[in-house]
Amino acid sequence: MTPPDPVIRLENVYTAYEGADRPTLTGISLSIGRGEFVVIGGPNGAGKTTLLETINGMLPITHGKATVCGQDVRGDGVQVRCRVGYLLQNFAFDPLTPFTVEEVVLMGRYGTIGLFRKPRTEDYEEAKKALHLLGIEDLATRPIGQLSGGQQQKVLMAQNLARNPEVLLLDEPFSNLDMFAREEINRLLARLVGNGITVLIVSHAFDDLPDRPVRVVVMQEGKIVVSRECPPKEVEQVVRSAGKGASHA
Amino acid sequence: MLEFIIPNNIVCHAVEAMLFASVACAVLSVIITQVQISSIGFTMAHAAFAGAAVGMFLSLNPTVCSIVAGVAVAFLIGPLSDRARLSPDTSLGLLFGICMAVAIFFIAYMQTLGQGFSAMGLLFGDVISLYREEIYLLAVICIVAIAFIVVLYKEITAIIFDKRIAESVGIRVKPVYYAMLFVIALTVALCLPIIGGLLLYVWLVTPAAIALQFCNRLSAMFVVAPTVAAVISISGALAGLEYSLPVAPLTAVLFSVVFIAAVLLSPRRRVTFRKV
Repeated sequence: MTPPDPVIRLENVYTAYEGADRPTLTGISLSIGRGEFVVIGGPNGAGKTTLLETINGMLPITHGKATVCGQDVRGDGVQVRCRVGYLLQNFAFDPLTPFTVEEVVLMGRYGTIGLFRKPRTEDYEEAKKALHLLGIEDLATRPIGQLSGGQQQKVLMAQNLARNPEVLLLDEPFSNLDMFAREEINRLLARLVGNGITVLIVSHAFDDLPDRPVRVVVMQEGKIVVSRECPPKEVEQVVRSAGKGASHA
Repeated sequence: MLEFIIPNNIVCHAVEAMLFASVACAVLSVIITQVQISSIGFTMAHAAFAGAAVGMFLSLNPTVCSIVAGVAVAFLIGPLSDRARLSPDTSLGLLFGICMAVAIFFIAYMQTLGQGFSAMGLLFGDVISLYREEIYLLAVICIVAIAFIVVLYKEITAIIFDKRIAESVGIRVKPVYYAMLFVIALTVALCLPIIGGLLLYVWLVTPAAIALQFCNRLSAMFVVAPTVAAVISISGALAGLEYSLPVAPLTAVLFSVVFIAAVLLSPRRRVTFRKV
């Protein structure tokens, strides 16, 4: 089903990494509406992260059409990234990294501030607000390298929220979080979706999803094999059965 | 420029040259060490060295030749890695080897032709036989390096933090990154005659390594690194000329001594040890 006003629209998209012989994503078509909560599942190497990086224009689209927040991704990925938050998978900061939490969160606004311009008062305020949303104001002046993995994850989440994104792409956001932090982030995500922000999550953990209809997208070998809405409790089953179906095929 | 403090012209020129070169290299050393492109800086220093040697041999302007060679290497690393399917590290190793081979070949050949003295200056630096224009040029590159960091501060800090995160927040990483390499190449080429191709690397890495022992914030590193470098370089120049010692090698030794002392005294390391 195509939403009436899709915030993300991919039409027969092919994506290839620089120097690769063949595309990693092939013939991807996907329409996602404003305020949808999308869970992307599938085995390792299926192209889930590639899909997120195609949506925010970090990877070159070799064929097809992609529009995100009304912007042509192939035309100017930078403009898209100013309106889309992206929490990257796997990171670890050196304990001596010379950046404090507040500096890292403020960085989330650098793209929107623009070249040659300095952060304004409103940028500092948005960064503060994001720290408050994640409940990490007390960490503001701490060096990021000296925080735990879960705290670092929250700081990067705050960095993304600081630019008030219309779309939030999260790659394995729960990987470093304990049970309580996971619940906290899920509550926050439910609130964001309620405010009209579209959330796409790549995850292997399907418990504690927000209590609202979820769109499940299952990927196999660079293709979308399932894309449908279901209750949060059925997400794991949908992903599993799509995986089994593909392995029998 | 500093004649009102140092009346002796030779000493004054040497101090000015060391001051401008060390400040320019030190501010860039923060970028080089934090973006972890020391191998690129190292290779560019040797490319500039090779360019200057070729320039001298062909009776061309060695500074212009070293700028061209340094910039060319900076822009060759990416395409070479892609085309030859090599890791950037291997590409840098290859380019470094080629640059050293070219430089040593021409320096050795010039020695057989009786032009060895001027070529040796490229290896170990020479602060005495500088023209006033060269010092002005160093002052300009010093201002360019500082202005580059001031103007693009937020983009540079984001790239230093993490290139992919910088890209994901909407920063145009590639142009800023190549501009960084260009400014480094330019600085390396202009500092080469003073510091020498073999020692330049000390100026491009050690000031930031010293600053990192004491600073929690990047903004502090951008102040501490050039300040420390300026003090060490001026001390090296004055001591070298006073006691007739080779200025650049003496200053390089001073840098190393200060670095060891900084590591031993670093409050940041003490915290780490306590944690363990």
